[in-house]
Amino acid sequence: MSFEVADQEFVAIVGPSGCGKSTILNMLGGLVTPSAGAIEVDGGPVTDVPRKVGYVFQKDTVFPWRTVRRNVALGLEYRGVRGTELETRVREGVRLAGLEGFEDAFPATLSGGMRQRVALMRTLVVNPEILLMDEPFGALDTHTKLSLHAELLTLWEARHQTVVFVTHDLSEAITLADRVIVMTRRPGRIKLVHDVPIPRPRDVIKLRETEEYAHEYSVMWHVLGEELGAPGGVQGDMRTGAGSRLVSGHPQSAPGARPSLQ
Amino acid sequence: MSDRGRVLFWRLLILVVLVGAWEWLTGIKAISKTPGLYWIDPFFISRPSVIVKRFAYLASGEVRLSIWAMALSTVQSTLWGFVVGVSTGFAAGLGLGRHDRLARVFEPYIIAFNSLPRIALVPLVTMIFGFGLLAKIVLAWTIVFFIVFFNTFQGARSVDADLIHSARFLGASERQVVRTVIVPSALAWTFAALTPSVSFALIGVVVGEFLGGESGGGLGYLIIQSLGTLNAADMMVALLTLGVIGIVMALGIKQVERRLLRWRPEYRKGP
Repeated sequence: MSFEVADQEFVAIVGPSGCGKSTILNMLGGLVTPSAGAIEVDGGPVTDVPRKVGYVFQKDTVFPWRTVRRNVALGLEYRGVRGTELETRVREGVRLAGLEGFEDAFPATLSGGMRQRVALMRTLVVNPEILLMDEPFGALDTHTKLSLHAELLTLWEARHQTVVFVTHDLSEAITLADRVIVMTRRPGRIKLVHDVPIPRPRDVIKLRETEEYAHEYSVMWHVLGEELGAPGGVQGDMRTGAGSRLVSGHPQSAPGARPSLQ
Repeated sequence: MSDRGRVLFWRLLILVVLVGAWEWLTGIKAISKTPGLYWIDPFFISRPSVIVKRFAYLASGEVRLSIWAMALSTVQSTLWGFVVGVSTGFAAGLGLGRHDRLARVFEPYIIAFNSLPRIALVPLVTMIFGFGLLAKIVLAWTIVFFIVFFNTFQGARSVDADLIHSARFLGASERQVVRTVIVPSALAWTFAALTPSVSFALIGVVVGEFLGGESGGGLGYLIIQSLGTLNAADMMVALLTLGVIGIVMALGIKQVERRLLRWRPEYRKGP
């Protein structure tokens, strides 16, 4: 499989469980080395955890022994930011995440949604150029999820990071992304790359009532449904969209040629 | 009555009943007017009233080695053994916990030394370090070190890999990962070892004092001396003092633990 993500683009990867969505993200983040093929960021290969990349895990990775404030401060502390600058940026982060009043709370006292807000803001406060998100809202209830979608979009509109967002929730992908990559069942290949032409800024609630949303959903649900249902569904690569910034898989491989990325 | 009050009431009641029964049963004779035949012979377990008298005597300035001096000596050696044992055990556990090959190299030696009954070391330690404070500290250390070591080792190994990853994504260097992720996660495990460590440090010290003689002082010395003079009351004084020392130290550790692990849900509420 091969795909590219443009600078400032929001790409979602959707696929059935076990198709390797998270593995792709881990390779982009330098946590896993591909057994074949190449991952490139800004034209250079990924060898280690890159500094400009932020990663939000599905699992709760907020440090339980640090308060909200000190969790948000982590990335800045690691970079040697001290004193008033640290304080100002942390306060701003806490405000943006809607966590005012909970600065000195320990994560154990917070709800799952609030903890994930902390995790998101902890990642954003150091201004990563590329944001990798591995089902960050997967463990949350629908209501919390929607409000976090709205917040993520607001934050993203402000800075336009390049985002690769892995999820198994199609509606989440349509709500957030410029482009959705649908993957096949194991062994994972790209089944469909689909642009989402819904204009921004998007309203995560009203969006769902629009015809465009229903259309996008039905197109992709049909394709994804083949993967969830029929065994050995059609395999084939399609590519739409183009970019230059972030390249995964074989950059030289033509569409249709499918080097393995297991 | 509040729940705390009720608990306190029962605790006191049990104390009063036990002490009362002790005093009473050691005072009545099994066969009247026959000397030396008691229901429970105070020769072996003494009586609360006698123990209090002996305590007052031992606490007074009339004796060469007062109970305070002995208790201080015991507390001092226990604390030193505890502090040295915890710090070295923590450092070793952290080091070996993060370096797999090193851990495999040292494994047989650690297991061999740990399975050695520590009491068997007492004569050797006394031979090397003499009869004073140092020998007692070393004995406490040999026990505490391993308890803390094994727990910290386990803790350092079971650090959540995703926490390490997220720290690295946030830009942490290796050192920063150790400081902000590995040490705090391992600490929770280390703390679980501290309360038993105090009791074991006390064991090491008292055993050392058994052999240490007067120069080492301490409550263990009082116990052994009382055995020599068949003085149950003095022995009881020493044992009760040891009990109080143990309780105070355990409570102290609980306080430190409550402070350092206050992020854990189980420490958020009062006692």
